Amino acid sequence: MLIRKLGNDKIEFTRIEPAELDLLNKILVAGDPSGNAAAESRLYPAPADPTETGLIRDWTEFVRPEIERGFAESRELVGADLATTKLESGRLSRLTFPTNHVESWLVVLNQARLVLVEVHKFTERELTAHLLPLSFTRRQLVLIQINFYAAIQERLIELVGEG
Amino acid sequence: MPETILEPKEKVLLDTPWNVVVHNDPVNLMSYVTLVFQRVFGFSRDRAVKHMLEVHHKGRSIVWTGTKELAEMYVHQLHTYLLQATLEKSEGC
Repeated sequence: MLIRKLGNDKIEFTRIEPAELDLLNKILVAGDPSGNAAAESRLYPAPADPTETGLIRDWTEFVRPEIERGFAESRELVGADLATTKLESGRLSRLTFPTNHVESWLVVLNQARLVLVEVHKFTERELTAHLLPLSFTRRQLVLIQINFYAAIQERLIELVGEG
Repeated sequence: MPETILEPKEKVLLDTPWNVVVHNDPVNLMSYVTLVFQRVFGFSRDRAVKHMLEVHHKGRSIVWTGTKELAEMYVHQLHTYLLQATLEKSEGC
C-alpha cells in the first residue's frame, strides 16, 4: 500500500493489498471499547486526581458526552471514507479522502490501537520489540495490526507536516 | 455597605493557577504527540518536541499553566486526541 497526497486536497491510499484492506475495514470494530472496562477508561481517562471529586463528577456529566460525540463523528467520517474504497486493478484497491479528514483518521487509528492494546494487555516491551516471532499466534497477528495502524498514522502525520 | 468589586486583572491574580499535565503512555506515537501539542497549544515544532520528550523520558510534562477554566478546556482538547492529560493545582498555591 502506498499513501500519498493528491495535490493539497486529497489523500490517496493506493495499491492496497487484500490483507491490508481487511485490516483497514477492521479499524472501526477494533476501536470499539464496549464491554472492556480498561479500554473504556483509556479512551475516557479521568481529568484529574481522584480527590477532585466535584471536577470529575462535572466532567463525567458534561464533558465526556462531548468527547463521545466527537469520537462518534470521527468514526462516522472514516467509515464513510472506507465505504468509497474501489478495486484499482486485479486484487488491489484504492481509497481517497479529503485532506481535512486526516485528523479524524488519526484519532480513529489511535482509538483502534489503544483499545487493542488494552484488550490484549500488551506490555510496553512487546509494543517496542521489533523481533520476528518464531510462530504466529493470534496475539502476534494483533500486534501486527497495531503496528500497521501506527505506520499509517506516521505516514499521515508526515504528509500533514509537508503542508 | 460598600461592596468590594474585584477588577478582572486582580481576580486572575487571586485565582489558583492550574497545570495541564500530559502523562506518558506507550501507545501514542512521538510524532503524534508532537503534532497534537502544535495543534492544541500552537507550540513551535521545537517546543512541542521538547515537551513530548519530557513526557517520554520523565513520564509527564507540564504543558500549560493558568486559570482552571482554560486548563479544563485544554485537557478536554487533549482527551479528544486521546492523550492522557490531567489538570492539577500548581505547586505552592
